[in-house]
Amino acid sequence: MAAGTDDKPQESGTESAKPTNEAPQNAAADDVKSSSTPSVFVNSEPIREEQVQNAVKFLSHPKVQGSPVIYRRSFLERKGLTKEEIDEAFRRVPDPAPSAQPANVSPDPQLKSSANIQPQSSAQALQPAATATAPAGVISSVVTMTQPRFRWIHAAYAVGFLAVSGAGTAVLLKNAVIPRFKSWIRKVISDEESDVLKKTNAGPSLEEETAAAAKAAAAAAADVAKASQEMLNSKVEERRYFGELVKLLDVQLQEMKSMSTSIRKLEGHANTSGALSQFNHEDHGGLLTTSKPYANGRAEVDSRPVRSSSPPTSSEPSAAPHPKSYMEIMAMVQRGERPPNVKDINDAPPNPHQQIPNPRLAPRAKPWEADQTQNNPSNVFQYQSSAEAWNYNAQDNGIIDQSNGDPSAPWWQRKNVRITEIDRDEDLKTGAFGSRTSDQTVQRAWVPPQPPPIAMPEAAEAIRRPKLAAQKEQSSEETASRSSDGIDELQKVMKFSESGGAENTSEMSSGMNSSGSGMNSSEIQVEQE
Amino acid sequence: MPIFKTPFNGYSVKFSPFYEDRIAVATAQNFGILGNGRIHVLALPPSPGAPFPEIAAFDTADGVYDLAWSESHDSLLVAAVADGSVKLYDSSLPAASNPLRSLQEHTREVQSVDYNPTRRDSFLSAAWDDTIKLWTVDRPASVRTFKEHAYCVYAAAWNPRHADVFASASGDCTVRVWDVREPGSTMIIPAHEFEILSLDWNKYDDCVLATASVDKSIRVWDVRSYRAPVAVLNGHGYAVRKVRFSPHRGSLMASCSYDMTVCLWDYMVEDSLVGRYDHHTEFAVGVDMSVLVEGLLASTGWDELVYVWQHGTDPRAP
Repeated sequence: MAAGTDDKPQESGTESAKPTNEAPQNAAADDVKSSSTPSVFVNSEPIREEQVQNAVKFLSHPKVQGSPVIYRRSFLERKGLTKEEIDEAFRRVPDPAPSAQPANVSPDPQLKSSANIQPQSSAQALQPAATATAPAGVISSVVTMTQPRFRWIHAAYAVGFLAVSGAGTAVLLKNAVIPRFKSWIRKVISDEESDVLKKTNAGPSLEEETAAAAKAAAAAAADVAKASQEMLNSKVEERRYFGELVKLLDVQLQEMKSMSTSIRKLEGHANTSGALSQFNHEDHGGLLTTSKPYANGRAEVDSRPVRSSSPPTSSEPSAAPHPKSYMEIMAMVQRGERPPNVKDINDAPPNPHQQIPNPRLAPRAKPWEADQTQNNPSNVFQYQSSAEAWNYNAQDNGIIDQSNGDPSAPWWQRKNVRITEIDRDEDLKTGAFGSRTSDQTVQRAWVPPQPPPIAMPEAAEAIRRPKLAAQKEQSSEETASRSSDGIDELQKVMKFSESGGAENTSEMSSGMNSSGSGMNSSEIQVEQE
Repeated sequence: MPIFKTPFNGYSVKFSPFYEDRIAVATAQNFGILGNGRIHVLALPPSPGAPFPEIAAFDTADGVYDLAWSESHDSLLVAAVADGSVKLYDSSLPAASNPLRSLQEHTREVQSVDYNPTRRDSFLSAAWDDTIKLWTVDRPASVRTFKEHAYCVYAAAWNPRHADVFASASGDCTVRVWDVREPGSTMIIPAHEFEILSLDWNKYDDCVLATASVDKSIRVWDVRSYRAPVAVLNGHGYAVRKVRFSPHRGSLMASCSYDMTVCLWDYMVEDSLVGRYDHHTEFAVGVDMSVLVEGLLASTGWDELVYVWQHGTDPRAP
């Protein structure tokens, strides 16, 4: 994780912050292909301030600051923030001591009541329990990255702490209260006895003694009362937290129940039986349905380019019913047993330094590589003929009987069955998509359009002049202001040629050599401005 | 169409890039939960009704979740094993001399391996320890480790035209595009709301990739405008386990799902579902389209069967 956050992507991010979708990047100039260059695979959007501010708010939240950094990053990534925006947000948040522990004692309004409890060991035991339950309670309701393991473990810890603290208080108070009580009783009794003995001795001393005894009794009673009161308080607190925990578990339970009922409905159709499985991603996806507080934050989908094939079914994933034997094996493994059919196999390399044998065949060109220039309708036949060649040449294929009498068409190469003919002939609304006839299989690689003849020589002149200024700045990172300064006169030119379409200017510049790439980008910038 | 019965549950099937009639199958015992694994290298039988001749079989201590054919050596295979190792096999050598290498660096199960089709000298492994590793065949240790995902990485795929670019799909619901020359990922696409199990690049448009997710949909993305998908393909009844773009037709792709079907999609067409095969009786987990033979499909699943058929024919027909 640490390897990812480096300065380099920061630089490349801001460099390509000039939207350069098609202009080759100057840094990676070793990529000779004129079509899409590595810069296409980089975020070219500028940093969105609004997103960064939302992220800062999120990161400043005290609950979030208790969570590991990677979950915070992952959450922001899922909300659609780019790496640069996330880094910027992290930079802006006044980051206190980054603690990876999930349950820190934090000054939380919920926990102030626990802070009021006198620092007995019971209270101290309560505090970690409270902090464990409070985050557990809050995590499911506040935006965080939720891992079910996270929550369950915290719940388990909370229950454990509660039990221990309850037991501890019970034991302690038993040890403290009862002996005190007993000694108090004994004292009273002995006082009474001594009173009985000394009754005859002195009146006032008797009164004193009784007064003292009464005081001691009162003090002891007060102590006992206080202790029992504290115990009651702590029990109440514990009960309250426990109640919250139980409520959360109930919520979980209900959701799981609803899932299992829906699965049972589905199982009514399927043949396999089997309960909800715990395996890997089906469940992980299933449990994620229960905690989607951020679902509404998903970026709106532009309806125009998106095409659904059919009316979308519910996008909530339900776990697929697993085969019965699968459930048996899962149960066995969870019990710690080893399935009986597993053998001990030694799959270590017998000779770790064995030479990798030399390749015997030359690698074959891929179908998409073969068509860099033009569509080749004879591709299909090429394969057939090459197949014949391989049939003869490949020695290892001796297993296959080549004498099937028809070398041009082994059964798996039946060409009469074209994909286009399957059931969908009527659906081939291929007007827009052109050639469905024989071989539209390959889309051409992008060939840069020829630059149009210069219509406005002044424009060309103006373009060429600021190019020199822009060239100097290309080695360092260009910022918007600097590049726009250099091409003020170009702006006027742009307005003229705008009628000709923005494409024209970009085409004109793309027709120039690669140093015009910076020009191209700054042009587009100007247009955007 | 020939059917091959594997002793273990199928996980992945791949066509050889050198021989039209050769496939390799990765299997794992006990559904891959806990048990041994086996790799089968098969040849297509001379006639559809004949049984599959088995060229080689390799046993492993732990299940094999995926494999990839080498693009440089015709008999070399890379296997992703559930014990975290990546193993190299040579199907021309006897089983006693195999594996050639066992590369143990991942700390958790390796879910996917992909061989670079342009450079032909390196491959990627994606594992449940949230990392992707880059390897070359001649080195005993990984060249690079890419650690940014927050959860298991389920798939990694090389871009078919750019030798240094690849993408990864993860259980943290994001797709990351990487460039091996850069220290970190260059693009993060929050592609789905749920785990993304597979992805593949369009062979004919190097900026387009498809992702398959637990949310039963396949989404097609253009990295130049990745905020919204180009297409959303619904139709599977359960999580989509694998998606593969056709090497012969730019907008065609095959997918297999836990609803036991293999579907063919054309995302440029209004009604994108162009084919559906429900020959499996358990989760369909592996699917591949042949690079050398247009229209040839192979699939495997937890029902321990491997089917090879031409698109448009019935995989179960004799």
